Parts: sequence; structure tokens; C-alpha cells
Amino acid sequence: MSVRQKPAPALPGQIAPPRGPVLAGRLALPSLRFALLVLVLAVVYGYAWKITKIDLVQLVTGAPQMRTIVMGLLTPDLIERVYDVTVYEAPLLVREQAAAQSAAGGAITVTPAQAMPGGDVEVRGQGLPPGAQVQLEVVSRTGDARRAGRYQIRPDGSFEAAFELPRSFAIGDYTVRATVAQPLNQWRPSETLKLTAEKMVETIFLALMGTTLSVILTVPLSFLGARNLMSGSPLARAVYYATRTLFNVLRSIEILIIAVIMAVVVGIGPFAGVMALVIHSIGALGKLYSEAIESIDHGPVEAIVATGATPLQVVRYAVVPQILPQFVAFTVYRWDINVRMSTVIGLVGGGGIGFILTQYIQLFKWHQAGTAIWLITLTVMAMDYFSAIVREKMA
Amino acid sequence: MLEIYNLTKIYPNGIRALNNVSVTIRDGEFVVIVGLSGAGKSTFLRCINRLVEPTSGRILLDGVDITAASPAELRKIRLRIGMIFQQFNLIRRETVLTNVLCGRLGYVNPWMSLLGLWSPEDIRRAMQVLERVGLADRAMQRADTLSGGQQQRVGIARALMQEPTLMLADEPVASLDPATSHSVMRYLEEINREDGITVVCNLHFLSLARRYATRVLGFRAGEIVFDGHPDEIDRRRFQEIYGEDAVEVEIA
Repeated sequence: MSVRQKPAPALPGQIAPPRGPVLAGRLALPSLRFALLVLVLAVVYGYAWKITKIDLVQLVTGAPQMRTIVMGLLTPDLIERVYDVTVYEAPLLVREQAAAQSAAGGAITVTPAQAMPGGDVEVRGQGLPPGAQVQLEVVSRTGDARRAGRYQIRPDGSFEAAFELPRSFAIGDYTVRATVAQPLNQWRPSETLKLTAEKMVETIFLALMGTTLSVILTVPLSFLGARNLMSGSPLARAVYYATRTLFNVLRSIEILIIAVIMAVVVGIGPFAGVMALVIHSIGALGKLYSEAIESIDHGPVEAIVATGATPLQVVRYAVVPQILPQFVAFTVYRWDINVRMSTVIGLVGGGGIGFILTQYIQLFKWHQAGTAIWLITLTVMAMDYFSAIVREKMA
Repeated sequence: MLEIYNLTKIYPNGIRALNNVSVTIRDGEFVVIVGLSGAGKSTFLRCINRLVEPTSGRILLDGVDITAASPAELRKIRLRIGMIFQQFNLIRRETVLTNVLCGRLGYVNPWMSLLGLWSPEDIRRAMQVLERVGLADRAMQRADTLSGGQQQRVGIARALMQEPTLMLADEPVASLDPATSHSVMRYLEEINREDGITVVCNLHFLSLARRYATRVLGFRAGEIVFDGHPDEIDRRRFQEIYGEDAVEVEIA
């Protein structure tokens, strides 16, 4: 049966109190307050503008300097041509006195074969691939190479080069080395691409380790930080507040600061980056996990408790199935964030691609920096896409 | 036999949900508790297996004091008390079979159950119970793919796995349509008559109480204001339970 209650009769004589005079008294006040607010805001923003040294003119005058950077980013160092390299060597004796004869080494001839410091040396080549480049070096017995110019081979396959030995050149036996590099119609990934790709993989694994370790530590903690599970006794409530405070503190320390500190503790490198990610992720994931636990339906918990199950069994059968999809979604999302963060962590010595990117930028190697930036962008986009798919699947 | 003496429950917010309730329920009875929302019916039921901790009073099941039991003893006692709920309270993402097996959690090795491992004996028993509530063919389906009435039957199956001597039913049909309500109530009637399980059931509809109960307890403001056979509830008694302005509505 269901029950219908008669509605309570309205009390007679209930009329809204007159509000006219009150309203009139308040009218003037808001406008004064408003003017004061505008004044305060104007002062605050004026001061802020000055302090942050905003200079829009500089934005325009400095724009040309952007060009090298933008050009570098637009032409990343991705591939390089394959060269067919042949090396020819001819002896060159440096003595107090010069001798007139020549020395031959394969396709090249050195004249004179015995020269004085400060004397002229002529190198000729024949029968070489037309259009190829020749790099000349004078190499000592101990392997010290001194560059002696770069030459283009003429269409008939020959080249002529002349250089002067410095006056300070030490007496001894030397070799003239001609490195002939013939460009082939083949291309291969550039060294930069290989190196940055390697560092990108390092970065992804750095994020993976950072995420995994933080998940392992956070899952047990998150149960201690869930109000609905930790309201039994004063001790439980104390643990709850302690855990939540820990999460909040860890989450509020900027990850770059943690990375700098960890780089001091464990040294510059990927491990410092992993530790920074772990510490920050515990705070961020802990809050999300705990709130997922707090939002579960209490009904199944009641039902499993009523079967005579132990607290652990209740967690396993009534809590875990309810939180699992959210935990997985949050974790993948965190990994996605950590991949992004770990590129930045590298900037302060946390290893990975960020580290190498800083070096490129400091050496003004804009093409190489472009390679790294493009690789980061593509990876982050891929992670973003992947994490969206997983989250959708788990919903 | 379930003996309840001077049971009082005051919630932390000061609401006195039960006020000095004493009642004895004999084995094999089908007791239906009726009353307005907030009359203390749910609190009364939950005090019996201590899902809600009583403020004072004693509850004895077959002579064993539930209110004085330690956590481990309480789990042993809960094994013998099955419970079904208005919202069914199944694990929605798990299979029907796993939900039914959960009724064995108090019996099995805790570590095996944490790994999700069940003995063939328990699985066979679960299939038998599912057969009994007519859902054997749904064993491998996810629980949330079932209709409301089917989910409540899974709830009954889960409770039966405990091999209870007492079944608590908290508004078991309040979320169901009238036809399904009768089907669920008939299963409760069946386990009461055939298995001799004592049933204590909260209901909104007095018509269902008249049809299934061997004894009716009327609750009002945390106190028992009626205790007797359903046929004894006339217009005057009805108004004692539900208040002056109430009008009885029939369920088909």
C-alpha cells in the first residue's frame, strides 16, 4: 500500500514584508563598491604590466631573430645522403731542405714529396669521380690530422690543390690524406634522427617507469585516503587526513623543482627524472584514485559484508570491480601526462629527449632542435590518441 | 529463534530511528514489517546483522548474542543470515555466477577467494541455486545486463549460497513492477516453506503483506505499533501504523 498525506494548509496572512526603503538605502552602495573595485583592479594591472616588463615593440623588433629558429623547425634534420667514400694517402716528408721529386699514392700525387716548414705543397688527383668532394688533410705519425682544404673534382676527374705548410710545422714524416666522398642516390636517417629517436624511446620508458612505480605506491595509499573506508575510528580518520595531506603536498610541488632536487640527490640522468615523476604522480594519482573509491556505490559493499566476508574480501569483490575502470583510465591519462612532463624534465637534467634538446638549443643547432621538437610533438599526439581510446574502451 | 530486547538506535545526527524495540521471531515465520518511510524498518533489519551498529539493546540468534560478538564471531553469525536489498546490490561488472559465488565468501579460503579461485564444488552448488531461481542459462552474463526481477533473483541465489537459517529482505520489490514483485515474493515464500528459512521482510505495500506474511509488524516512529496476523489489520489499525490521513492503495 502507499500513503497519501493531505497537504498542510497554508498559513493565513503570510505576505512578503515591504522592502521599498531597504532597497533605496542599498542602491547607492553597490556603485561605490564597483568604482572602488575598478580602481583597485586598475592599480593591480598597471603594476603587473610594469613588473612583467611587457614590451610589445620588442615583440616586433625581435621577430627577425625568430626566423632562424622557425626555419630550423621547418627543416628538421631527418635524413642524410649516403656517400661512397674512398681514401688515398701519399707520404710527405717535412725536412730542413726541400727535394723536388713527387710522391704518389693511388690517384693522387704530392709535389714535392719532401717539403720545408713554410713551403708550398701541391696535390694533384686524376681519374676520380667527377663532381665528388675531396677533403685534404696532413696526418702526422701520431695520427694528428690538420685540415688542408676541401676541393671539388672537375668533370674530367682531376683536381689540383695547393697549400702552404705553416712555419711552425714540426720536422717529421707525414701523410697527405685525400678523402673522396661521392654522393650516391641513396638516403638514410640522419645521426640526429637516430639519436633523438633513441632519446625519445628513453623518454617514453622514463614516463612508463615513473607511472608504474607511482601506481604501485599509490594504489594502497589511495585506500587510506578514501573517506568512506576510513571513517570507522578516530585512528582511521587521522590516517585519512595524513594521507590526503601527503597527496596535496606532493601534488603542489612543481615537478621541475622536484626534478632539480632529485638531480642533486641521484645525479643528472633518467633516474632523477623517474623519481621526479614518481613523487609528483603519487600526489596527482592519489587524489584521483581516492575520489574514485569515495564515489563507489555503497550497496554492493553492504551486500558483501552481509555474506560474512572479511574486509579484504569486501575490497576485492565490492570495491575493486567498481573502481577498476576509473583506475585504468586515470593511469593511462597519467602516463600520457608523464610523457609530456618527462620531455620538460629533461631540460633540468632529468635525462631523455629534453636533455638533448637543451643541448641543441644552446649550440644553436636549430635543424637538430627541430628534429627533437617534431618527434616530441608526434609522440605526445600519439599518446593522447592512444589514451583517449583506452579511456573510451574502459568507460 | 531471533530474540530482540530493548533495541535502540540513535544516529550520530540525533535521529532516534529505533526506540526500545523488543520482539521475538520464531523459526519458520514469514514476518513482514510495514510502516512509513523513516519509521525505522530498514534500521531494524540492518541491526539484526549489524550492518548498522545498535546503540543499545540485545539481539540473540538461536541463543547467540549478536550484539556482543567480536568481528570474527560476527562474520560467522552473518553466514547464517542471508540478505537481499531494494537495489539488489549486485556487482554490476561481474558475471551472474561470480555474484552468486560471493555468497560463499565466508566459507572459502580467504586467499583463494582474493585470487578469484573457486572450488568446483562451490561452482556446482552455485549452478544448482541458479537453476532453482530459473537463471542457470544466464550464469556467464554480466549482472547488469539482467532485468530488475532477474537481478533480485540473483540476489536471492547469492543469499541462499550462505545456507542461511534467517533471510532479511529490505524492500525487495520496491524497485520492481507489480507482476515481477509477485514472482520475487513467491521465491521468498518458497524458501520459507520448503527450506524452513525464517524470513523477515520490509514492504511498502500492505496488500503484499496480506498475501505472503504469517505475521505483520507495524512500525511507527521507531516503535512497534502492531504485531499480529495480517488479517487483523483493519482500518483503525491501518491508521495507527500509517497515520490519520493515509489511504490504502492496492497492488495488483
